[in-house]
Amino acid sequence: MSAETKRRLREFRAPDEIGAENRAWDVLRSAYLERERHAARRPRWRLAAAPALAVVVAALVLSPAGATVGRLIKQALGEKHAAPALFALPSPGRLLVSGPDGAWTAAADGSVRRLGPWQQASWSPHGLFVAVASGDRLAAVDPLGTIRWALARPAVSDPRWYSPSGYRVAYLSAGTLRVVTGHGTGDRLLATGVARVAPAWRPGAALGPYELAYVTARGRVVVRDGDTGRILWSTPPGPRPFELTWSADGRRLLVLSRHQARTYSASGALSSRTTLPGAASDGALAPDARKLALVLGGREVAVASGGQTRQVLAGAGVKAVSWSPDGRWLLVTWPAANQWVFVRVTGAPRIEAVSRISEQFSSGGAAQAFPELDGWCCTAGGAAG
Amino acid sequence: MSPAGESVPAAAESVAVSGELGRLRARRPRSEAALIRGALAGSEADLEALFRRFWPRAYRAAFLIVHDHAAAEDIAQEAFLAAIRRLDRFDRQRRFGPWLGTIVANRAIDWARARAARRETADAGAEPPSPPEVPLGRYSQEVLAALSALSPEHRAVIVLRYLLDYSPGEIARALDLPRGTVNSRLRRGLDSLETRLKEMER
Repeated sequence: MSAETKRRLREFRAPDEIGAENRAWDVLRSAYLERERHAARRPRWRLAAAPALAVVVAALVLSPAGATVGRLIKQALGEKHAAPALFALPSPGRLLVSGPDGAWTAAADGSVRRLGPWQQASWSPHGLFVAVASGDRLAAVDPLGTIRWALARPAVSDPRWYSPSGYRVAYLSAGTLRVVTGHGTGDRLLATGVARVAPAWRPGAALGPYELAYVTARGRVVVRDGDTGRILWSTPPGPRPFELTWSADGRRLLVLSRHQARTYSASGALSSRTTLPGAASDGALAPDARKLALVLGGREVAVASGGQTRQVLAGAGVKAVSWSPDGRWLLVTWPAANQWVFVRVTGAPRIEAVSRISEQFSSGGAAQAFPELDGWCCTAGGAAG
Repeated sequence: MSPAGESVPAAAESVAVSGELGRLRARRPRSEAALIRGALAGSEADLEALFRRFWPRAYRAAFLIVHDHAAAEDIAQEAFLAAIRRLDRFDRQRRFGPWLGTIVANRAIDWARARAARRETADAGAEPPSPPEVPLGRYSQEVLAALSALSPEHRAVIVLRYLLDYSPGEIARALDLPRGTVNSRLRRGLDSLETRLKEMER
């Protein structure tokens, strides 16, 4: 090889080297800080996550909701001793909420910040950015609300970031599934005939393809390569799912329907199928994949774990659940009572409630709507809760 | 990322040091082993120095193989994330650069193969990868255009040999190829590369 050719190769410069380097450092730094923070108490669950998830789902039939210890039943409309304002979160992290009055974050000290007039929002894996959607617009904003990039597509909803890098964002647009890079470039159509269910990236799968699960209009669950569009596997049509969640190690996909929970292996084999003890309207898998929280019948919240199911809260009109990043607390939204209820699910049972939620996430307009919960994010890294 | 040693002082080195002692230390870049030890002990500055020392070549290597800047960024970043996750298990007798370069090269080849498979099973919705947002200079364009005539596997061999300074034996181990295959790919790849670069100069 001539010296000239060698020199040309050595002096080659790729596009936007400095920008790429700085973006990568942001992500790497977050991952490193998170690793340092958890190094001393790194959970062993990753090795056991797959069987743990199977046990969680099996638990739904082993014991009926409300049959076991630790139950905290509140029959009245709302918690009696609720704080009048959000003064602090009971666990580290930041909350993301959105609604007719825009998207907001709530910090651990209770301070709230409006990100802008966005109807839906989703944390990036390390909480450095938020994907937001409203009407015909998708954007990425920083935690101060500054728009980093934006694009226009019809009827945009349900943006979801790939974890851990955040280098892909999947979203729905007028019955289609689309993918854009984390920089807002390369927007492309991935699938048509898609149901209005948030897509779910398989975490940590970047050694291979970026795998994305979604639900078709006919109720199939399909997993595609998010870059090539190739279908990796799909299920037959079944009960219409409302929630797709991968275990954190990417080894199991949990598919929640109103009356059924199914788990699939990463290759698409059905691992378990369980009838739920009530009609589920929301569900969330704990960060360690060992617990599954469910809102049943719009009147109780149950947690399935370790071979049993226990009711942790009851009250007419409870709506949604989200886990704290450390998996110790559940946040239950209760629009009928205009409250958030934080329920501690490890150690001694404990409840902390906050009232006047609509008023606290309002910019002062006449209409004050109860906000939707979009996630309880990472301390410094890790997936949004 | 050179197996033979790394001579590029990272700008971030200065972050790791301060004061008189820092100024003295800043004259000589810290060794890779010292940076890994520091990162393991919780020094963000050491981690940053390690990252900035190895990032440019990791990103360039990925880009030269896949010819897609967003994918190259992903590949290099995921390789670093994997490295950070396994840092406490890293064999400090080995050098960090070659280990990282091997991850990058193999991921880049896998990505390029997946893209080729997409072309064969083209879905109506899939679109080609986005072009670079930042234009390349003429010089880099020529290298890129010359490399594009080669398969990703051939590109990887060339990149490992002449950008990352691997020996043919190291390439064979990194890509799990017979030594003879590495040598033949090097020969054919270089012939093609030089021919095309000369054509462009005319």
